[in-house]
Amino acid sequence: MDVDEIEEEEFGFSRNYFLAKELGSSSRKKSARKLSEIDLVDEEELREVAASIEPKHEKEVNELISSYKSSYSKWLFVLRSGFALLMYGFGSKKALIEDFASKSLTEYSVVVVNGYLQSINLKQVVITLAELLWDQVKLRQKTTSGSLCKSQQPFNTRSISDLLTFLDSPDLEVEECFVCILVHNIDGPGLRDSDSQQCLASIAACAHVRMVASIDHVNAPLLWDKKMVHTQFDWYWCHVPTFAPYKVESMFFPFILAHGGSAQSVKTASIVLQSLTPNAQNVFKVLAEHQLAHPDEEGMPINNLYSTCRERFLVSSQVTLNSHLTEFKDHELIKTKRNSDGQDCLCIPLTNEALQKLIAEIV
Amino acid sequence: MYSPNEHPPTDPLAENNLQPFFVLHKASKSTAISPGRPTKRRLDSSPKVSLNNENKNENVKMEAFQCVWSKIESKIKDVLRSINADVFDEIGQWVRESFNEICSCRGPVDPSKSSLPYPFVHNGGLVKKLFTGLVFTKNIETVDDILTFAELGLNLKSRGCYVANISSLDFSTKNGIGGCLRAFLRQLLMVDIEAADVSLLASWYSDHDKYEKPVVVIIEDMERCSGALLSDFINMLSEWSVKIPIILIAGVATSADAPRNVLTARALQYLSTSIFSLKCPAERLDAIIEAVLVKNCAGFSVGHKVATFLRNYFLRQDGTVTSFVRALKMAIIQQLSIEPLSFVLKLLVDEGDSKRSWYEDLANLPEELIKHSFELPSYRKYSVNRNNHVELTAMSLGHGLSEMQRLQELWRSRLMCLYEAGRYHKVALLDLYLEALDPELCNSRLSNHGCDSAKDRSLLSNNDKLFKLQKAEVTNQVIRKIRDLPAAKLSQLLKSWERLTKGTMEVHEKIMELQSQMVSEDVKSHKAELTDISKRHINRRYLNVEKDACTSNDKAVTLAGQMIRDTMQPIECIPFHELICFKDVDHLQSALAGDPRRRIQIDLLNFYKILKCGCCSNSGGTLSPSMHDTSIMYTLAQEHGDLINLHDWFQSFKASISSSGKKGLKKLASPKKRKENTSSQNNSDALLQARFCRAVMELQISGLLRMPSKRRPDCVQRVAFGV
Repeated sequence: MDVDEIEEEEFGFSRNYFLAKELGSSSRKKSARKLSEIDLVDEEELREVAASIEPKHEKEVNELISSYKSSYSKWLFVLRSGFALLMYGFGSKKALIEDFASKSLTEYSVVVVNGYLQSINLKQVVITLAELLWDQVKLRQKTTSGSLCKSQQPFNTRSISDLLTFLDSPDLEVEECFVCILVHNIDGPGLRDSDSQQCLASIAACAHVRMVASIDHVNAPLLWDKKMVHTQFDWYWCHVPTFAPYKVESMFFPFILAHGGSAQSVKTASIVLQSLTPNAQNVFKVLAEHQLAHPDEEGMPINNLYSTCRERFLVSSQVTLNSHLTEFKDHELIKTKRNSDGQDCLCIPLTNEALQKLIAEIV
Repeated sequence: MYSPNEHPPTDPLAENNLQPFFVLHKASKSTAISPGRPTKRRLDSSPKVSLNNENKNENVKMEAFQCVWSKIESKIKDVLRSINADVFDEIGQWVRESFNEICSCRGPVDPSKSSLPYPFVHNGGLVKKLFTGLVFTKNIETVDDILTFAELGLNLKSRGCYVANISSLDFSTKNGIGGCLRAFLRQLLMVDIEAADVSLLASWYSDHDKYEKPVVVIIEDMERCSGALLSDFINMLSEWSVKIPIILIAGVATSADAPRNVLTARALQYLSTSIFSLKCPAERLDAIIEAVLVKNCAGFSVGHKVATFLRNYFLRQDGTVTSFVRALKMAIIQQLSIEPLSFVLKLLVDEGDSKRSWYEDLANLPEELIKHSFELPSYRKYSVNRNNHVELTAMSLGHGLSEMQRLQELWRSRLMCLYEAGRYHKVALLDLYLEALDPELCNSRLSNHGCDSAKDRSLLSNNDKLFKLQKAEVTNQVIRKIRDLPAAKLSQLLKSWERLTKGTMEVHEKIMELQSQMVSEDVKSHKAELTDISKRHINRRYLNVEKDACTSNDKAVTLAGQMIRDTMQPIECIPFHELICFKDVDHLQSALAGDPRRRIQIDLLNFYKILKCGCCSNSGGTLSPSMHDTSIMYTLAQEHGDLINLHDWFQSFKASISSSGKKGLKKLASPKKRKENTSSQNNSDALLQARFCRAVMELQISGLLRMPSKRRPDCVQRVAFGV
């Protein structure tokens, strides 16, 4: 792969520098042993066993996590003062942050964004935030016997900049009225692009929004420039290592000892599919049904798939279909082959039994 | 491995975990009070402020914070506004002149053609010229200038212009020219338009305004915009420049070359540029420090170490005033959360506002808080030194606080005196401020003074001796240079000192004395000039006068030294200073900018220090099987170079897990599992492999590993080197 090589070369420069700086780099272990020399167990079994790994130091981990409870009031104070909290340190912080929210942020509405998932629609998040804020304002004004005369357009038809203006509007009469947004893994795969980060930054900058976020990647701060850090996110860093296992966060990560990751397991596929839209799921189903019905063929030609999907009103144009297909390809749910007629065909790299199981699961 | 299928669908959390987002809870009705409302309630109306009353305590803290911070924030805004006032005036005038020039060469307006570009003009010379003001920010960080340009916009609006602020984000190639036009029109027309077009603006302008107001477009950072897009934008505006009197203002961070580097030649030729410059960040910071920390507008102050950290952070790392202000805000928050009595800050602010005494407020405090205040280290030290036994009451606390304020006032005026003297040599206030805050410097100064006076009084006048300490460099330099000041400047300086030291009779009198001495010298020399004819005489007289001048300079130097020694007590030497002075520099640093790269690695390598477990801490460097799997793996990874062979890694992981006997495994596996383990070797292999995989995953999530590439399928790459 070309891209891979270029990337590796670039990476090499900095690597060599740091290696040269590290002490005793001459006595590094070098070995050419192959992974295949290990007697690897089946991936299915691996997953099963992995789910039942006994946690180490459970008592100490629990004590550590509950020791952070004493900081809750301080965190709330920090949030109320206008900063956003950024939690970092090794271990899953999901449970900790949600516990903080349900114990200390009861006066405010809280939206949780799971950044570890593959795709997140931030506009929907903003709409929800706006609706929650509106509810909160109404609630407050009722209790303070203020009259509410604003008739307005429903939030889901407004543009995102409009919604942000609403969330930032200084004219809401109620003092200290805000909604909270918890973002688990703000450095997660679905949020790592600069557009998402810009959007999150402008959400965090709104006067009536407070953000609590967590990062796990050591290089996460590289996602932000100074403007975002100082004027939009306005982070207050909290070092809260928990050593809790990354259970949910690692859902989409492949097992390194599973045979090269070539055989997609049913479970990973179903998890990926469940995170997609119903239409995308149905497109996948069309493809799967075809493959089950014609086990001897190379796969389903793209044209056939398009026409079938159009008939069933699953896609309106080739472009939408292609976007679904790209998504499938990214998750290695499908592969392209060329059949004897020279047509591009799509197939799912799963056995028939596995495919049946998968279809049953996503219904 | 967790997967939704292993949990019954009844678990709502598991389902939520797979949602891109969900509502955790809505604001509860019962507690929907507005807790932090800045009510007029004073502390004395809520006398039951006690440590165990959590909620109330929080609200008191919040109130104090809002009170202090709003005061500081508005002060900072004022300072920045006044620092920019001159430039803004200049720009405002230039806008007016440019507008007049556009108007003067515009032809009669034909309303029917208002939405077409290129109108008729009297003299063709000005067609398509776009007046452009380049504002040099002298600052590569645009963060600080966002506020400046917003202020400029408001300022121009108040001068009767239509203003649109467009950020460089709108000029990204992704949005195209439509993006920046939309942003432009949204601000002027107040509507969101899908198909943005300048003709809309033209018709809006001709409807709204009969050439009475110019339209000003402000672009914060020209160099961050996409050059092609900005050029297109300028071409377009220039086509309409007579129909709509548009004036462009662009921020430039580097040099006058910037437009040439960014824009196309065609766009360049339309620009008719004028140049303005803002003050540099260091000047702004000095002004903020003077207004907020030295003049102490809200009673809050920081210790020497914190101030040093802030300075270094500004000079060496961040370089933005914004982050300085942010750090200040954090310091206040931390001060309020660390020190229970620190809400007296609010009293200080209130007192400053209404000149009202705080004794009654303090009298209502619960006993434990009063007691706490007398247990502060600063008070203890003080009372031990003085050997005095004051009654520990709210009254004496109040006295202590007033005394602290008095001393602070003195310290402030002396620092400003020094700053006035330093002004002639362009000494930064920040440096003087740091030295003035240093408690060690003050202590050694006092002890030095003691031995000097014992040995030889005449040495006292020699200030080089007085401040022989290397550390107080800037202060010494400033004092030394007073000696070289010419008479006119010296009398100017004395005048400013006179103003600054009002209120302390002793020093004030001395200054007056010095001043009168200088006046008489002046008269003398004047007389000498008039009466003496003989050249020899004049020379001698002049010599005398010069000598006199020397002595008055010397006297001023002595006076400055004396002022510093006698009355400049850094806040950290004053009893009760813990209440209003923030000193915890580590805390501030970690909240201001986390260091995930280092901290996460340390978490992994020293995990037993954080978990405080008994079993792993005494293993002393060797890997014990009871350690956290990922920690074992990462420690093992340290032995490898940039590439880690998976096979080797797995084997060493396996070895370290099972090395010290089966103890580790036994401890880990549940009894049921253990039976299986012994019965089937295969299962324990699976468990080992699963644990290995999970540890790799966790390292991958932490970004400490890169997955195998296609070229090297058996190796992972280490990413972070060196803690």
